[in-house]
Amino acid sequence: MSSVETAEDLKSRVKELIVRQLKLDIDPTSIRNEAPLFGDAAEGLGLDSIDALELVLGVEKEFGIKVQDEEVGVTAFASVDALCAFIQEKKG
Amino acid sequence: MITTSRLEPLPHVYPFRFVERTLERGEEGGLSGRVSAVVTANARRVQDGLLAPFTLAEMMAQAALLLQGGDPEIGKTGFLAGLSDFVVTRVPEAGDVLSINVRLAGRLGPAVKFDGRLSDDQGREVASCGITVRTGGP
Repeated sequence: MSSVETAEDLKSRVKELIVRQLKLDIDPTSIRNEAPLFGDAAEGLGLDSIDALELVLGVEKEFGIKVQDEEVGVTAFASVDALCAFIQEKKG
Repeated sequence: MITTSRLEPLPHVYPFRFVERTLERGEEGGLSGRVSAVVTANARRVQDGLLAPFTLAEMMAQAALLLQGGDPEIGKTGFLAGLSDFVVTRVPEAGDVLSINVRLAGRLGPAVKFDGRLSDDQGREVASCGITVRTGGP
């Protein structure tokens, strides 16, 4: 992650990662920042536990951070906003 | 083209357990290793039914589940949940002794992903893919 990367840049990068890693047939910009990634598809993306693992592997590779189970289960992967906050915290 | 209606679920239990024995078990709790399997004349038949590629994938899934702590008798502690980047390089022939190498790629709760590579006794690659298994029952 570049030091000049803005919060909006990071959100765009995360959305592109989600679409690429999960091979979703959607426009990355259509993902709302606050929408839930898992669970109810009507409200968010409706991802499942297998998608979660793929996303964790993608985030680890893209951002060079390690994701622990408990961190994921609680809040880190709740939404694009939450994931970006998690990445920024991990990257310091 | 794959006609899904021709495909039946493959139970992990004998006689549908394709992997035979663990040849090597890696460090880190046995989450990598090598498992062998022999291609019999009967196994050759399924190739025309487009089942062979899935059989190869199932072999890698069974090897992954076996190496991550499965029951050595039935080789089952979960089920194949997903495949990615599945490539078949060479269709195995009757008499081939296959080795399946699996390496842990990552885990999240009950979902575990492995990188799998299947090769023949000459060391030639037969197939490779990313295998996601879900441990435990459905």
